[in-house]
Amino acid sequence: MSKQKNGFLKIIDFFSERIPFYNLNFEHMVTEKEVPVHRMSWAYYTGGLTLLFFLIQLVTGVFLLFYYQPTVSDAHASVEYITFFVKSGFLIRNLHTWSSSCMILCLLVHLITSFAMKAFARPREITWISGAMLLMITFAFGFTGYLLPWHQIAVNATKVVLQSIEEAGHYLPGALAALPSYIKEIIQGEVSVGQATLSRFYALHVVILPLLFMGVIGLHLLMVQLHGMSKGVDEPAKKSEKFFPFFILKDFWLWGVVFLIVFILALCLPFESFYSYPLFEAYDALGSTPDGIKPEWYFYFVYYPLEILPFWVVMLGMTVAGAGIFFVPWIFKNTSRKVLSIIAWIMAAYLIVITLFGQLIYEMFKGPK
Amino acid sequence: MFDQFLFVGLPYVAILSLVVGSVVRYKIRAFSYSSLSTQFLEDRWLAWASMPWHIGIIIILLGHILAFSVPGLWSALVSVPVFLFSVEALGVLAAVLSLLGLVILLIRRFVDARLQAVTSHLDVVVLLILIFQVSTGLAVALHHRWGAAWAPGALGPYIHSIFLLQPDASFVKEMPPFVKLHIASAWVLIMFFPFTRLVHALSVPLHYFVRSPQKVVWSSSRAQVRFEEKIQFDNEKRLFLKAAVGAGASAALLSLGVLDKFFRYFLKQDLTNAEESHILSQKLQRLKQSAAERELELERMNKDSIFVARLSELSSTRGKYFIDYQMRPALAFRDEGGLPILISAKCTHLGCTVGQDLDGQGRILCPCHISYFDIKTGQPSPGSPAKSPLPHLGWALKDEQGNLLMSQDPGGRREGAIGPSQTEKGLLFIVKRFS
Repeated sequence: MSKQKNGFLKIIDFFSERIPFYNLNFEHMVTEKEVPVHRMSWAYYTGGLTLLFFLIQLVTGVFLLFYYQPTVSDAHASVEYITFFVKSGFLIRNLHTWSSSCMILCLLVHLITSFAMKAFARPREITWISGAMLLMITFAFGFTGYLLPWHQIAVNATKVVLQSIEEAGHYLPGALAALPSYIKEIIQGEVSVGQATLSRFYALHVVILPLLFMGVIGLHLLMVQLHGMSKGVDEPAKKSEKFFPFFILKDFWLWGVVFLIVFILALCLPFESFYSYPLFEAYDALGSTPDGIKPEWYFYFVYYPLEILPFWVVMLGMTVAGAGIFFVPWIFKNTSRKVLSIIAWIMAAYLIVITLFGQLIYEMFKGPK
Repeated sequence: MFDQFLFVGLPYVAILSLVVGSVVRYKIRAFSYSSLSTQFLEDRWLAWASMPWHIGIIIILLGHILAFSVPGLWSALVSVPVFLFSVEALGVLAAVLSLLGLVILLIRRFVDARLQAVTSHLDVVVLLILIFQVSTGLAVALHHRWGAAWAPGALGPYIHSIFLLQPDASFVKEMPPFVKLHIASAWVLIMFFPFTRLVHALSVPLHYFVRSPQKVVWSSSRAQVRFEEKIQFDNEKRLFLKAAVGAGASAALLSLGVLDKFFRYFLKQDLTNAEESHILSQKLQRLKQSAAERELELERMNKDSIFVARLSELSSTRGKYFIDYQMRPALAFRDEGGLPILISAKCTHLGCTVGQDLDGQGRILCPCHISYFDIKTGQPSPGSPAKSPLPHLGWALKDEQGNLLMSQDPGGRREGAIGPSQTEKGLLFIVKRFS
């Protein structure tokens, strides 16, 4: 064979390195798999925790389907019925809300630590990309699920987000300017947020997104097991432990503890107690929008900048970041772990500050609300 | 007469035998104070037999000692139902555990050749008595429920009377046969105690708990290596087993609690009549609300003009919400001249519904991102996130008979005029041709 490989062979080579099917056996994936032990080992548990929360969402979500009714006249009433009249209904619903937030939190930690540990490095690009897809799907879960209770904050927040999409049209040239409002209409299904929107979000939230998520997480986990754990730190690992049984036992132990905590939280503390009640009254199409309409906390990182900075700056930044996340394995191909961890710290600091102190910063710029 | 022998004569023979026998045996053959361990001869079965037996019997003995030594305290404790249930359940579990251990111990004595060489008749007798003893105890627990509650009162006085040398067996004589058998065989056990392997109960190596650990060293180095390898392997195995059992047990406990809660979710709801009617009326109200919205929509498709309010109902400081031809919210005010001001209430920033109350400067507020709009011009105040003005709506005023009195298009051009007398009676409409 000639030294110069043709394009087709290159593609074959590319994928056979990234998808090592020769590792597709029980020994490599389970009995012989080793997990490195070092100062960042805790980060290996974050992905598993995210999976745990997804499983909780799946189970409690299916439970909620038993009573929830996706129509504009019944949605709010059925959610209240679950909360106040169905036995343990408040628990199931609380678990679903608490665990949704926990899932996003774990996912973000998982994202940042994987980034800092350069877990995306060749040949693990597919793992990273599937992870980024899971991130997007999870945000879509959060966005669509938020509308379903059909209370004031849900519908109004959804309206604001959808309107922001349309707003982007002002910054696009020529024929493209109409695109965002076209997209908005596809999402919304009618002139304003109404039954069509609810039905669409419902279908997305309970059928399409879960199926997508399960497919992509399957790929993600398969990739993790095929490639084995990434080593995560620069210095060679002094120790390692067996994936089976030791790592997996610890993982399940952690699942048990975390589940217990979330279960108790859900039992004792309604997630909605963080907001004022009028936001949870049934949506009133004819009344004024109540004070304090905000997205969930995990959207603060884009919500507060939107409030403070010019619209186009934030939109551009978020589009670049959103697209860029898929290209991380190539952008940071030659970056050292040290630099990566500095970037990760900056990202984490931004997320923490804007999420915890977003309101304060907003008031600093715009005066008290 | 026989009862008198079993419950008064036998106890004293047994106690005498226990005290004298133990002391004499210790004096004469102190090193025979042992259970004569067979662990070296056979250790696989032993673990599954000896452990459950000892764990079970220690729990049971502790219960018996506690119940009969401090009956007052015990009775107070078992008067709490949860405690009673727990004690009974724990007792039965422990009994089953120890019975299981005993049976395996017995079988092992019969089937293992090496063991048979060292098994004495007394060993078998002791095992049989113990099996009998535990079985009768279990039978009492199952047939005459709540022994933990009734036994201290019914049997405590008898046991006390024996030790106070004022034997009174009248209570025991009236007991059901299982209880009598259990007590009698207990005395037999006590009588046999000093002559059997049971004496090891008196030589429990309690100092093992406090002494410093000892390391057993082998004399040959090869044996040492082999030994250490085995120990390491055993350790790993034990670690995994412990972890798995721990994980399994906690998972089971956790799921017990969780499933208990989850299961109820699927039960029928017990609603009172009041709750039921509350839910139904709420549902009905929401349905009516949806129906009303649909009607509004239909009305806007079919009618050329739509009634908003009587002019006299409008206020100059608090707007009245209504829905325009595009099904968007709008507000109706009244100006100083008594004429209507109709303005869109859909914020031009991100589409929230603007509030209905005027502030001191004649502005309405969008609460979502704090935009103020002047209702006369529709313009947002400087610095508001909204950049474009709220549009005004055209309107028409009619009298009661439906005659057009006056109209204004969205641009503000008016046709017709009304006098002050008519303003009070005027009816305000929005008009299709203006939208």
